[in-house]
Amino acid sequence: MNTVLRCNEFSFSLAGVSIIDGINFSLKKGEYLSIIGPNGSGKSTLLKCLLRLHEGGQSRGQIQLFGQPITEYSQRDLARHMAYVPQAGGRIPPFTVAEFLKLSRYPYSAHRNALSLQDKGEVARALELTDMQGLAHKNLATLSGGERQRAFLAAALAQGTDVLLLDEPASFLDPRHAAGLNALLKYLNRQQGMTIITVTHDLNHPLDAGGQVLVLRHGWQAFFGPSSQLAIPGILEAAFEHRFTYLKHPTTGKPLVLAEQC
Amino acid sequence: MSDKRILFLLAAVFLSSMVGSIFLGMSVISPSSLFEAGSPDAEVFWRLRVPRTLAAFLSGAGLAVSGLVFQAMFRNPLATPFTLGVSSGAALGASLYIRLGLAFSLPGIQGSLLLALLGGLLSMLLVYLITRAKGGFSTPVMLLAGVIINFFFSSLVIFIQYWSNARDALQIMRWLMGSLSGLDATRLVDLGIVVCIGSVLVYHMARELDLLTAGEELAASRGVAVRRVKLMVFVLASVMVGAVVSLVGPIGFVGMMVPHICRLWLGAGHHRLVPVSFVLGGCFLALCDLTARTVLAPAEIPTGIITAMIGGPFFLWTLFRSNRDGELL
Repeated sequence: MNTVLRCNEFSFSLAGVSIIDGINFSLKKGEYLSIIGPNGSGKSTLLKCLLRLHEGGQSRGQIQLFGQPITEYSQRDLARHMAYVPQAGGRIPPFTVAEFLKLSRYPYSAHRNALSLQDKGEVARALELTDMQGLAHKNLATLSGGERQRAFLAAALAQGTDVLLLDEPASFLDPRHAAGLNALLKYLNRQQGMTIITVTHDLNHPLDAGGQVLVLRHGWQAFFGPSSQLAIPGILEAAFEHRFTYLKHPTTGKPLVLAEQC
Repeated sequence: MSDKRILFLLAAVFLSSMVGSIFLGMSVISPSSLFEAGSPDAEVFWRLRVPRTLAAFLSGAGLAVSGLVFQAMFRNPLATPFTLGVSSGAALGASLYIRLGLAFSLPGIQGSLLLALLGGLLSMLLVYLITRAKGGFSTPVMLLAGVIINFFFSSLVIFIQYWSNARDALQIMRWLMGSLSGLDATRLVDLGIVVCIGSVLVYHMARELDLLTAGEELAASRGVAVRRVKLMVFVLASVMVGAVVSLVGPIGFVGMMVPHICRLWLGAGHHRLVPVSFVLGGCFLALCDLTARTVLAPAEIPTGIITAMIGGPFFLWTLFRSNRDGELL
């Protein structure tokens, strides 16, 4: 089946307060989805719902992964299909980069301490893709913010999944590291065929990355469609209740969005 | 540090502390006297020192492995069987046994052990229900629920003491101080079974504990059934603490100090931490008991006082070393 992920009228509420309301979209294999929206619009909550990470709360509607409701997957099976890169700035796991990546093989070797050859191969590949080989034996706590973010991405890649979900992966990165991360995500999507879903505050990210964009506002779906549509005035203004200026990049010719000063 | 080197160090610490705990004390036992017929030293050796040292080792091992589990689950070095109310639940069960003058046992399980286990499990159940009532299985709520249950059950233990006659009150008070003197050697088998099986099961969940240490969301995204694993390790650790507390009383701080020191030494991998905490926890309590027996000889101090005297300053040191949220460093 070509459809990887599908949300059917999905809603989620916590302690009686609606957080997500009536989300509908589907994503095909190898597609790139950016989720944008103002603060508190439910972007991260939706991402966690897609990963079934929310404890408590009530949900309506359905999220399907490869045509099967995610509620029917065991936690381990879910982890064989979807990997998650959490928001930066949270707690730092007390491991070295290599130890942290080895833990990502848990869905395949839960009862073995020693890694199989395939596990080792996936870990080595993830280190190589993220250019982290030289830092493999460093403690996560001693890395810079950019290096640590790459380590988290490497750990998600070591999980060997078809789908990668990222929560504001570039929010704590300087422009150089952010550009490097975005280039890597594009490579994974286009060259490796990974389906990528990323929550972002950078409105130019969907325009640059291409694929689909889901715009949320107060928990409901303000827009879902090709990200190029964001360059047409109206969608962002309605979602963010703010004015934007639309430009073209002087060298690449790609559309750019600038939020106007208040 | 390589596994071989760790194994060598552990063997050295284990042998020296066991030999020290068995042969030293109020009187030093000469190895040659063990083979003399009718020697009083041989009697002391077999009837007192060996069972007491074994009890100290098993209790320390059980408390250390339980503490390790709680610290991993709560990602907080200050989360111990005591702060989570499990010890006070077990203490309540054992105090009731003494106060009511009960003298029953099930096949293979002494009555006081059973009541302490039930007390520990009851406190665990209450902590679980309170946490669940707040939605999900949140760690901060669970920690706070543990503190509340701890206070509540500790008050009930004081109440039971108040309503007891002088003899029972003294027995409860003495027991609450945590002591390895006057042990019933037959109960060592119960303790050994609970602590060894519990520790082996915890060892089998080492990778889940590693991932829980990295954070619950991350653990779930890597395939850990977080709710089920937390419940399982919580029950296992509670049963071990209940078994230890019923035998030697609520000896504090072992479950906090030993696993924390092991983490600082070996890092966060539980495949190493579980066996090392088991051995070092056992050796630590055996040495504390040796100190309790010898420092004011011929008088004997309750072992819990020695662990508390070391543990108090250690608790403060840990508090100042941990970050703002008290998470493991």
